[in-house]
Amino acid sequence: MRGLKQHRRGVIRFFHNPTVRISLAMFILQQPISRDELQQLAEKSYGNLVKAVVDVEKEIIVLDAELHADEEELLLENGSEQEDLWGINLYPSVPDEDFIEFDSMINLRPSFGNSSRGVDDPQIRERIKQIVNRMVTK
Amino acid sequence: MRYHHPELAVGRWQQLSLITQLANIGSEVERAIKWKNARNDEYFTLAFERMLELLDLTIADPKNRKRLKEVVRAREMLVDYLRYDNTYHSTDEQWRKYFNSFAVLSNKRKREEREKNKKRHE
Repeated sequence: MRGLKQHRRGVIRFFHNPTVRISLAMFILQQPISRDELQQLAEKSYGNLVKAVVDVEKEIIVLDAELHADEEELLLENGSEQEDLWGINLYPSVPDEDFIEFDSMINLRPSFGNSSRGVDDPQIRERIKQIVNRMVTK
Repeated sequence: MRYHHPELAVGRWQQLSLITQLANIGSEVERAIKWKNARNDEYFTLAFERMLELLDLTIADPKNRKRLKEVVRAREMLVDYLRYDNTYHSTDEQWRKYFNSFAVLSNKRKREEREKNKKRHE
């Protein structure tokens, strides 16, 4: 996968699944990634989407894990606060309005005022959009 | 204890990857949604119980121990959605999308594994 290695510099976590002998690497995005590169990631995993968790305070994104909970854990281990973390799905080949899907089990945090798997607060959704649009180029 | 999936309960389930486990749970979720919408209580209950059984086998699987957060949350939200008041505002569409993605990934890996084995034997 030419061109993607540079994005993987920094924190990388490998999961090795002995049953299917496949390792999956998720990583904190170090520099902007293009939609085409995102599409390559999608094709290697879920086909049409890439799972991501965004830290809206530190303005960082983790990409390419099997579960949002894996990405959440990686960020928590790296000093993020849980209330700042939001799970989204990125669909690299769909138009802008549907590119980001706000839907993750990790978003359900009634104690922080989010009582669904979406992102209830429109201001937070907007911040997520800004961070993603900065880090994912067309 | 009576299992809907006795063969899986004795260990075969644990041989599956977490992604394949979730893909299979998704099939039961799909059936539960279908029979709930068709107002067929008997079929709904059977699918709902099978779904819970597979979720609980997944939660009990030692290899998933460090990755349970998402599965446990999904269980809570599914029970809320299918049996109680849908406090978390889930929708059929959300559940379909969530589990379909695991089915896609699971099938893709199986295909890759088959191709790898084929090459090995050539």
